[in-house]
Amino acid sequence: MQVAGAVAAERLRLNLFGHAYVAVGAIVIVVLFYLAIAAQITQYSYDITRLQDQQRQLVAEQDQLRYQEVTLHAPAQVQQQAAQSGMQRIVPSSYVQGTQVAIDLTAPVGASPTDMTPLWLRAVAIVVNTVVGTRDVQAATKH
Amino acid sequence: MSTRALSARRPGTVDRVGSARLRVLSMLVVALILAGAVWSRLAYWQVAEHGRLTMQAQAQYREFVQLPALRGAIFDRNLTQLVVNTTVYSAFVSPDQIAPEDRDRVASGLASVLGVDRSKVLTTVQSSAKFAYIARRFAKAKADQLRALKLPGVGLQEETQRSYLPGIAPGTTLASNLLGFVDWNGDGKYGLEEHYQKILAGTNGYISSYRDLANREIVLGSHTHQDPVNGSDLVLSLDASVQYAAEQALAEGVKRDRAESGSVLVMDPSTGGIVAWADYPSYNANDFNHTDPALFKDNVLSYVYEPGSVMKVVTLSGAINAGAITPTTVINDPGYVKVGGYWIYDWDRRNHGNIDYTYVLAHSLNVGAMKAMLAEGHASFYNYLQAFGLTQPSGIDVAGENFIAPPSVAKMQDSQFATSSFGQGIDVNMVQMLAAINVVANGGKYAPPHAVERIGTQLNPLLLQPQRQVITPATAAKMTAMMEQVVQKGSGWTSRIRGFELDQAGKTGTSQIPVNGKYTQDVWSSFVGFLPSLHPRFTMIVVIRKPHYPGSDRDWTLNDGYMTAEPIWKQIAQAIVVNWHITPDRR
Repeated sequence: MQVAGAVAAERLRLNLFGHAYVAVGAIVIVVLFYLAIAAQITQYSYDITRLQDQQRQLVAEQDQLRYQEVTLHAPAQVQQQAAQSGMQRIVPSSYVQGTQVAIDLTAPVGASPTDMTPLWLRAVAIVVNTVVGTRDVQAATKH
Repeated sequence: MSTRALSARRPGTVDRVGSARLRVLSMLVVALILAGAVWSRLAYWQVAEHGRLTMQAQAQYREFVQLPALRGAIFDRNLTQLVVNTTVYSAFVSPDQIAPEDRDRVASGLASVLGVDRSKVLTTVQSSAKFAYIARRFAKAKADQLRALKLPGVGLQEETQRSYLPGIAPGTTLASNLLGFVDWNGDGKYGLEEHYQKILAGTNGYISSYRDLANREIVLGSHTHQDPVNGSDLVLSLDASVQYAAEQALAEGVKRDRAESGSVLVMDPSTGGIVAWADYPSYNANDFNHTDPALFKDNVLSYVYEPGSVMKVVTLSGAINAGAITPTTVINDPGYVKVGGYWIYDWDRRNHGNIDYTYVLAHSLNVGAMKAMLAEGHASFYNYLQAFGLTQPSGIDVAGENFIAPPSVAKMQDSQFATSSFGQGIDVNMVQMLAAINVVANGGKYAPPHAVERIGTQLNPLLLQPQRQVITPATAAKMTAMMEQVVQKGSGWTSRIRGFELDQAGKTGTSQIPVNGKYTQDVWSSFVGFLPSLHPRFTMIVVIRKPHYPGSDRDWTLNDGYMTAEPIWKQIAQAIVVNWHITPDRR
């Protein structure tokens, strides 16, 4: 049994050429893999270049559109369109007198304005609100 | 070899051995020399020429591409964009890459799309040149048509161009003299484009990558890359609507007055920000390469002139502030006076008798201005010229300021002081003059003139500095009242705007133009003013150069500021009142 096992092991053992074949095969596989990757990368590069070119064209088109948009709002264009529509600017015959108002933002707010509602009206309002109920009261009431 | 053996040799043997050694040695030497020659040549190529050869090799497979920075945009105060970057294309041919049978087709295709002369294109295509431009800087639509033709040996080059808004006429662009333009090398020329070149241009980046045999870029190969830093945007104090109104009124006025040229400058009184900056004639910044270079000159900033009677505002303000006179001080004006050996006259050469200084300003009397200067004294007068900013450049942030410094106080002659008091014999540019008058509108403070409010997101540092107090607010108020009288009762009557008659301040100026040291009949006419006078929203100066108003050949005073510059001022002021919803002050 031992002799048979040794023979089998001897047959399975690779000789020198066998090792070389395996090594070359491995190298070829690695090289092929590298080439495939490199080719793919190059292909992607070309795709990116093409897309960049397309992007440049779109940016150029966007610039053109932006200039058209800005020009549409230019005073010269606005006046031309207004004139074509039959509109014309007239000089006002009079002006409203202005009053200079100085607002002091640091001044204290002061008291709330006094409620000028007559007493009888307030009493009526209380009665009506109690009987009918107002939206505000309802909103504040827990159901 | 033993001694015996050697001694046993025949006498000629030693010679042969020596000769063999000599041959070996000489061969070694020759071999060494040859090897040295090869090694030194190798060293030469690999060491001495290493850099050049590396560059040559890299030039074949590496590519260095500049990534241009995007130039900053320019906006007005309402963020209306005044300049847009657009992409344009240039078409070129490589004649050596065009087969003889394709030449005719290429020439016809280029001529039909680009509108160039077919025979010229054919001559270029048939030449032995490696590269030649056919057309420069055309629009994308034409580039697309050209691409579709797929002409051999024809290429398109992308370039960035600044496109400016249209102006009042088809051949002009808005605010061209203020903005300037950018040449084909990307350098700003004139105006803001030149002054803010570094800030607007940014910093270009680059990418260095590989190219294949077909000259296609391998993007994912190893490369070095530096991103560009785009230029900053500028936000101006300019108002595009006011600018347009100013250009329109100025063009009409200059044509009506048959003048050589004219300029308008509008300023925000409280900040010194430029609201409008117009020149006529002007030019088309979108087509600068076909423009007469003389038109590029900006007369607002680069043209120095004698301001004439507008200077009386400065003279009288200084004298009032110094306590030498008051608006009601009475003087005698016989209509002439002799100073430093020269006779100086009022414009009408009339005897005005006893008058006050309000009358002097309202009727623009030279003798009165001169007497105010004498009452104040030469040194004090000169100090106020300095304080009002008339002895140094304005320092505005626009390229091309011209300035003529007056002589020092010690070197100025009596006659020069006299003429300077009413604005002759002293040279200023419009920015200096408007900034000086604006002191009165701004409560006595000098607001540094500037065109740019924001650079990118940063406020212009100039705006953060405290303003210089030149005259007291009380003096400014007195001068404002005197300038109101100019409009209500004096030479400023043609500038009156309905509703603002009591609320306008102004001053005319007319000065003769000197040629070869002698004054001619040609004049500079101007009007400066602000409104509402108590709470000014704008200060404006209009200068018309060499007007020839209809009928002025009989009466040359028709060329005065009140006939030429004032109507233009009024027309622009009315447009500003409407645009900015300005109401008169309650009185």
